[in-house]
Amino acid sequence: MSGTLNSFVVANPNQCIGCKVCEIVCFAVHNKNNQVAMSVGTIAAPVIPRLYLVRGETFTMPIQCRHCEDAPCANSCRIGAIKQEDKRIVIDENDCIGCKTCLLACPFGAIDLLPQFKDGEAVIQANLKEESEFGLEEKVKTIAYKCDLCQDHGEPACVTACPQQALTLVIPAEEKKRRNRQAAVNLLSALN
Amino acid sequence: MVSRNYLMNIDCELCTGCRRCAEVCPLNAIEGEQDAPQFINSERCVLCGQCVQICSAYASAFDESLTPRAIKLRERGMLETVKEPLFAAYNVGHALQVKEALASSELYKVVQCAPAVRVSLAEEFGFPYGSLTPGKMAAALRRLGFDRVYDTNFGADLTIMEEGNELVKRITEGKDLPMFTSCCPAWVNYAEQEYPELLHHLSSCKSPQQMSGVIFKTYGAKIDTMDPAKILSAAIMPCTCKQFECTREEMADSGYRDVDVVLTTRELAQLIKDKGIDFANLPDEAFDLPLGNYSGAGAIFGTTGGVMEAALRTCYELITKEKAPRIELNFVRSGEGIKTAMVRAGELELRVAVVSGLKNAAKILEDVKAGRCQYHFIEVMTCPGGCINGGGQPKFLLPEYREEAVRSRKASIYEHDSRLKIRKSHENPDIQKLYEEFLGEPLGHQSHHLLHTEYVARKGQN
Repeated sequence: MSGTLNSFVVANPNQCIGCKVCEIVCFAVHNKNNQVAMSVGTIAAPVIPRLYLVRGETFTMPIQCRHCEDAPCANSCRIGAIKQEDKRIVIDENDCIGCKTCLLACPFGAIDLLPQFKDGEAVIQANLKEESEFGLEEKVKTIAYKCDLCQDHGEPACVTACPQQALTLVIPAEEKKRRNRQAAVNLLSALN
Repeated sequence: MVSRNYLMNIDCELCTGCRRCAEVCPLNAIEGEQDAPQFINSERCVLCGQCVQICSAYASAFDESLTPRAIKLRERGMLETVKEPLFAAYNVGHALQVKEALASSELYKVVQCAPAVRVSLAEEFGFPYGSLTPGKMAAALRRLGFDRVYDTNFGADLTIMEEGNELVKRITEGKDLPMFTSCCPAWVNYAEQEYPELLHHLSSCKSPQQMSGVIFKTYGAKIDTMDPAKILSAAIMPCTCKQFECTREEMADSGYRDVDVVLTTRELAQLIKDKGIDFANLPDEAFDLPLGNYSGAGAIFGTTGGVMEAALRTCYELITKEKAPRIELNFVRSGEGIKTAMVRAGELELRVAVVSGLKNAAKILEDVKAGRCQYHFIEVMTCPGGCINGGGQPKFLLPEYREEAVRSRKASIYEHDSRLKIRKSHENPDIQKLYEEFLGEPLGHQSHHLLHTEYVARKGQN
């Protein structure tokens, strides 16, 4: 069973120092098409990460999608924009209508709704306008964002970039085997 | 002089207290509790800007609890058109001041660019790391409205003329050895505040930026028949400390501020974007002559070991009166840390050391203090790898990008040197002409007045 489970990234709050490198790198690898290259000066759109550094009184750590097997976000999506794909749950950002149901459905708060950008420019809605003091203005398209395990970039960038090695990509089948082995070793050393 | 405190800051609203900046600070000048906003101790900070480079605590555009971006941009002296994200650690910029000056028809606008800027500027426009673009850079500066596009590399050649002769003189007289380089203003700040008793070991040469500046407003004004009072002299630097250097009280030997204002590489890129210049499609243009002409020795000043190699190319010939057998001195081309070498020049065994990264300087300085230091000449650059990795260079999104970029910039700088026809500072014909027509001889009266300086002990006085 575990061989078919979705992978996910999880952070160790004891190692996280709250530097936000994970958020920055997440944005960087997802925006190569937005002309974001290697230097900060090439960023023209706001930084939109797909994981979120959370800070409390006594802890700091990033929170991101668990790629749930019975994903509440996918089950709640009215237009079927959230799909299971190759051991991960992904949002089709072009289909998303910004209804925010997934945001409410996710028990981790791993989904955020933010403006869509293309080539560094905000994507404008076709017809819907916004009333303002200067009359009707164009309205930016807002879509749901969440961790896609860096589907186009190999290993998740946050895992590789974290200067504290606080993030781990969990592959459930391997993790289960590792724990089995560790349990056996522990048992053995207890017996000897 | 502007206060150092004013030039380098950490935005306490954005700082998450991860203290990665404190790890790279060579002076332990960043103070604060883990997980709480950090502060820069201006008594210790030498303005190297390595904290600016490493900071990853950015301002989210969607966090409405933050001070509005427009206000932050103003506080940081940044153009309102800047789109890139803002980070907690920053240096106060001067692009607004330069933009205003460029719009003035009263001023005669002169600019110089450091060697390391031409191998990094294009990265801000999406070019591969270390792309060598002196031609596009010169073209962009002209389109921004500068009347003369001169060059710091020319000043670097001039520095070698003075510093090379100074070294030979000190060796001949056996006085004040070892001699340290003095091009890096953060290193000079460090020596002044941490080792005031060793200041006589620093070369009295001004940095290439300040030598260029003083020449622009004297000889340059003369050849352009321009009233120096009307010259606005700007410098583009990979460095967050050069702005401080140009405001030092003594840097006014032309009778005016020798350099009026400094922009970092990043700020120049922002100014180019602000003006709507299509950098990628600019033609290659040349620097203006004569003060924009440079040798390969001037070009390599931007990397660790570069000043040493440039100096050796000239010193060898000064000492032996013979042509140097080789030009490329790979044994002084180093990475981080301390690199040492011995060079035979005729009878003399010249012992040299290259220090890359200010954290490595203390060991050698302690040796000098204890009278144990056997070197004749020591180059120190504050930033690991030299100016190509300066605090004002393009900042990277990923730590591993940075290492690769520094490697590429370095390769690019040496490539630039290898392709130039003139490789030695003393063979630069416009340097020779400058001495013939204006300065007289290296270390002469005029040089002493314009190109050399004195240092001030300032322990606890910042």
